[in-house]
Amino acid sequence: MKLIGVDVGGTFTDLVLTDTTANQTIIHKVPTTPHDPSEGVMAGLIELCERNGIDRTEIDHVLHGTTIATNAVLEHKGAVTGMITTKGYRDIIHIGRHQRPEHYSIMQEIPWQDRPLIKRRHRKTVAERIAPPKGEVLVPLDEEEVRIAARELKAQGVESIAVCFLFSYIDPSHEDRAKAIVLEEFPEAFVTTSSDISPQFREFERFTTAAMNAFVGPKVRTYVKNLAANIAASGLKADLHIMGSNGGVATAALVAERPVLTLLSGPAAGVLGGAWCGALSARNRLITFDVGGTSADIGIVTDGRFGEATARDTSIAGFPLMVPMIDIHTIGAGGGSIAWRDAGGTFKVGPRSAGSQPGPAAYGRGGTLPTVTDANVVLGRLSKDNFLGGEMTLDGPAANDVIVAFADKMELPVHECAEGILTIINASMANAIRSRTVQKGIDPREYALVAFGGAGPLHGAEVAAELGISEVIIPPYPGITSAVGLLTTDHKYDAIKTEFQVEGDLDLPRINQDFDAMEENLRKLFVAEGLSDDEMAFQRAGDFRYAGQGYELRIDFPGGRVDDDLMVSVFNRFHEIHLGEYGQNYPDTPVELVNVRVTGVGQMPKIQAAVVDESTTRSLDAALVRRDSTMFRVDGDLQTFETPYYRRELLPLNQPIPGPAIVLQKDTTTVVPPTCTFSADRSGNLFIQVGEIK
Amino acid sequence: MTSSSIPGQGDNRWAVDPITASVIQGALESIAVEMGYKLMRMAYSSIIRESEDFGAAIVDVQCRQLCESKQSTPLQSGPIPGYIKGINRTLEARGEKIMPGDVIMHNDPYGGSSHGPDVLFAVPVFFDDKLVGWSATTAHHLDIGSLSPGSCGIVDAMDVYAEGLQFKAIKVFDQGRKNEMVWHMLRDNIRASHLVVADMEAQIAASRIGAQRFITLIERYGLEIVSAASEALMDASEKMMRNAISDISDGVYTATGHIDGFENSEDPKEKNLPIVVTVTVAGSDMTVDLTGTADQINLPINMPFEGTVDVAIWLTVRSILADTATVGHVPQNSGLTRPIKIIAPKGSLANPNFPAPVIARFAPGVMIADTLMRALAPAVPKQISAGVGNLKVIAFSGLEQGRHWVHMEIFEGAYGGRYGKDGMDAVDTLYANTRNNPIEDIESHLPLRVDRYEMREGVVPAGKWRGGIGAIREFSFLGDGGYSVEGEGHLFKPWGFEGGQEGDPASLRFDRHDGKSEDLPSKLPYRVAKTGDTFVAYGPCGGGYGDPLARDPLDVLDDVLDGYIGAEAAKADYGVVIANSVVDDAATSKLRASLTSA
Repeated sequence: MKLIGVDVGGTFTDLVLTDTTANQTIIHKVPTTPHDPSEGVMAGLIELCERNGIDRTEIDHVLHGTTIATNAVLEHKGAVTGMITTKGYRDIIHIGRHQRPEHYSIMQEIPWQDRPLIKRRHRKTVAERIAPPKGEVLVPLDEEEVRIAARELKAQGVESIAVCFLFSYIDPSHEDRAKAIVLEEFPEAFVTTSSDISPQFREFERFTTAAMNAFVGPKVRTYVKNLAANIAASGLKADLHIMGSNGGVATAALVAERPVLTLLSGPAAGVLGGAWCGALSARNRLITFDVGGTSADIGIVTDGRFGEATARDTSIAGFPLMVPMIDIHTIGAGGGSIAWRDAGGTFKVGPRSAGSQPGPAAYGRGGTLPTVTDANVVLGRLSKDNFLGGEMTLDGPAANDVIVAFADKMELPVHECAEGILTIINASMANAIRSRTVQKGIDPREYALVAFGGAGPLHGAEVAAELGISEVIIPPYPGITSAVGLLTTDHKYDAIKTEFQVEGDLDLPRINQDFDAMEENLRKLFVAEGLSDDEMAFQRAGDFRYAGQGYELRIDFPGGRVDDDLMVSVFNRFHEIHLGEYGQNYPDTPVELVNVRVTGVGQMPKIQAAVVDESTTRSLDAALVRRDSTMFRVDGDLQTFETPYYRRELLPLNQPIPGPAIVLQKDTTTVVPPTCTFSADRSGNLFIQVGEIK
Repeated sequence: MTSSSIPGQGDNRWAVDPITASVIQGALESIAVEMGYKLMRMAYSSIIRESEDFGAAIVDVQCRQLCESKQSTPLQSGPIPGYIKGINRTLEARGEKIMPGDVIMHNDPYGGSSHGPDVLFAVPVFFDDKLVGWSATTAHHLDIGSLSPGSCGIVDAMDVYAEGLQFKAIKVFDQGRKNEMVWHMLRDNIRASHLVVADMEAQIAASRIGAQRFITLIERYGLEIVSAASEALMDASEKMMRNAISDISDGVYTATGHIDGFENSEDPKEKNLPIVVTVTVAGSDMTVDLTGTADQINLPINMPFEGTVDVAIWLTVRSILADTATVGHVPQNSGLTRPIKIIAPKGSLANPNFPAPVIARFAPGVMIADTLMRALAPAVPKQISAGVGNLKVIAFSGLEQGRHWVHMEIFEGAYGGRYGKDGMDAVDTLYANTRNNPIEDIESHLPLRVDRYEMREGVVPAGKWRGGIGAIREFSFLGDGGYSVEGEGHLFKPWGFEGGQEGDPASLRFDRHDGKSEDLPSKLPYRVAKTGDTFVAYGPCGGGYGDPLARDPLDVLDDVLDGYIGAEAAKADYGVVIANSVVDDAATSKLRASLTSA
């Protein structure tokens, strides 16, 4: 089998080809083509095959991570979108939860009011109303009004329509019927229903999710269709699969219908890639730490499984989003984060970033603000001549100038100031990791930190030390871990249904029936994709809370029929998890089952463990590039060390090497502080043993 | 971790380098965020978990706030230092000591509390047997044993005793041992106590976590460094606020606002009550004087000076002068309030004498905030909004199988127009920032139906930047029950600024099950409701900012296309002529010219 993972980043499109039969992996990079990213993807696919003498027809799968939907939202460039909603509730997506995003601000923006996904003029109401708990029809759907609304929206130039009715998660029939009528009147429209996208209660969040799907729909549909057509036209026979936010891939056709599922997929592939690399070194408790220019993405992987974010924690561009997503915590801290002095004189770093344009001063593109990268240059941790494997030269004097100017402002010695920038950014990153570990009853010291992305390996060891983590893993190709992650995915589809059933009064037949129906629907999807029964697996779960609470916790169901005994074990598990998560539980209080869920996983072929080139030229001497001064804080004092710079690919295998050291490779630089030792693992990872940094 | 050889900044009592100070600030903030997160997720009643009417903070031994949780509402976290001061005074007066393992409950509105239903649970933090600070949470409870169900709309309470249970520094845990008798009393005297007591337990759990984390922080850095960093952070916040105040020209700025009070009262002293704010700016100091504000009355719209009035003022000044959207994230701590002195005559609405009732002080406090903004408007016209629409709470309640249900719904207001921006539509305002409850949650769990939730049309206050538009929210009873109302803003229009129109007041219609209809005042004590009774709440619209004739015609067109105003209003209010969904530029110029000269 031959698989290619293609990840489109802001600057480069990364490709990884793996041949599972020959156990061979090849990587390739081409420039990203922002006006139409599929051009870069196609160029990359063709070049990769041609340069390596691979017959295009032999490629079985192309796994693609795309930010096309994400960028449409972030730049607010989506379709002209309309909504058909329940009469009396036209402005749910405008009022939101009536809470201002900021407490202390008169001049703030409210994203859903200042940048509406659907303008009010395009929100039509029709008579219909369903009521809880069983879906009683209070007002039947007025089909004629739907027809009129569809015609009006068409006349108004709308391209895409979201059908959003109250309580549609209980009974989707009104939404489904309205969608059918819209398509009769307006067959070329992209039509979404809220119950199809996210059948969960909370109307503002569900309607916004549906509106978001409709907003990005036409663009993604066009992109995916064109890409699939171009792949076919170029002679590749491969199936196109696209990465979703839930950590699995979906077929191109499904993504064309539900593009909202890809909105937060960028960091998801990174977590998968990090998890795969950790597993290479036989570590199964991992904190993935993916740091780029503007942000750091943190994921937790325990025994090969990653958490899923709760529906109420996910958002994009300030809009709430209720779609399944890996629990990834993103903070505005990266190589481009800017150091500044706030109005009260406090030393701050980030969240504002210099990005890649102009970028840090060290990039020599006119950046004039002090960034984390500039601090790394001043302290000697980033090699001026080996940045990006020598493809880019860093401007040392420019970096020095901005740090000197900032140090003057802060009234600090220059090197103290530079090191301070790193201390503060590392502390923010450590706080972010604490919020996902310590604060949820997980001890980070039992985990290894997998540091990747362009800047992860620069900060990994110091962040780990801050958290008491003793092992840091640097993947073989830290800069393309996301593309590698694409090759470790499975098909993954989620189904969800709101139940609102309370312990003591459970309708077990209904629960069984709902689980069976959801599973059957997923099975059909997999069968349609040509998977056999033994290639698919289903995990049932429920969202539970104590009756009366407002937030749920996810608890897995064991397989088999749901009966009283099984529910007892599930409820007990809930009490345990609640205690771990919040430090308290209420075993005497009845538990409410809010949603049932089924996650279907369909197996895909995957990348194998890499084979490290064990040529005899590997040695410390061969790897040594030069020695230079770098600065580290040890025992409270900032000290200068004569530090060796090594070329990663020539490091001897499994030989402990003392820090300090700087390890160079094409896509990143790894910093090993003085109190650490490191070794090149036979798996291809770099392994840092972290000493205590004081 | 960092050497102490780095010079500290400013005149800190103990040297701490700015890097360590910044790191400690991040750590403190994440403690408060964790406390808030845990409280919100464990809580049972929707007023805490959905509306987010709760607070969490770490306070030092001198009762200064070091950090607060971001998720909470400002009116809850802001008063926490005052509560702790109240606890200290009470314990001292009684000759009682604070001990490790104590958990102290407090809600005394004459001892730092914001009002009775906002109950605080505080855990004193000890390190090496020494008190080093407090970890505390506040939350608005569904019921606190008042004369009628719920904890809003108790607008007929004649004194604080009628408002419910008063807790004055009560140890619910005494050196680690649970004081069961107190808990029995709580369960026996509070309606819906199965929810309220669980919420209180969640508060204690969150406070204890905060205490643990604070100790961990001290263990890591040492008490001296943490204290020094706290001083440095407060100094920095103070400095930031002083710089912002210094930018305002020295002088005296004054404004008067009015609250409805009790519209139907026969006593003229109980309605149309003035709120007078005089701001004196001298260098980097600001004095806010409420002299001239109405005298206290024997109904519960008096406002505790400490806990409501001070918070309303601090948070408004902060939102204007240290606006997060303009200056970025500013650490919320007691340093911010140091340059601001507050004066309110004893015996006034803004500084009542015990035992005057205060439980319904929420909406009058919004008017203090709004009037303060009005006073500052000429001084900082680009940082304020025109008049803000006030809020309303309805407490719905009933009995189901012998158990009480209580639901409190906060009805939003709207902001006035702002320099360069229209007002925010249909949001919670000023010192309040709660959330509404999803319709799909309410109807799934309560015998209520939300029949309508939409924007108002045809009442948009004109301005170069128009006022924010209010919403209509309609509720009906699906079973028999009861309700009470507590709100403001029925009688007085939010102020317009620099030629902008005045806003539109709120109103509340009650459509009875028997077909009769009445307009309700902004405050109404408990009444029985029958199945089919319906409320229609019309939210207020904020004032307009600037001359409507100067509004961009395309923005006027947008409001017409979106159905907020008609083409006639576009002409009459804005001088904009719209035909076939486009602006007729020539006709508009002509009309505007004629309207300007007129």
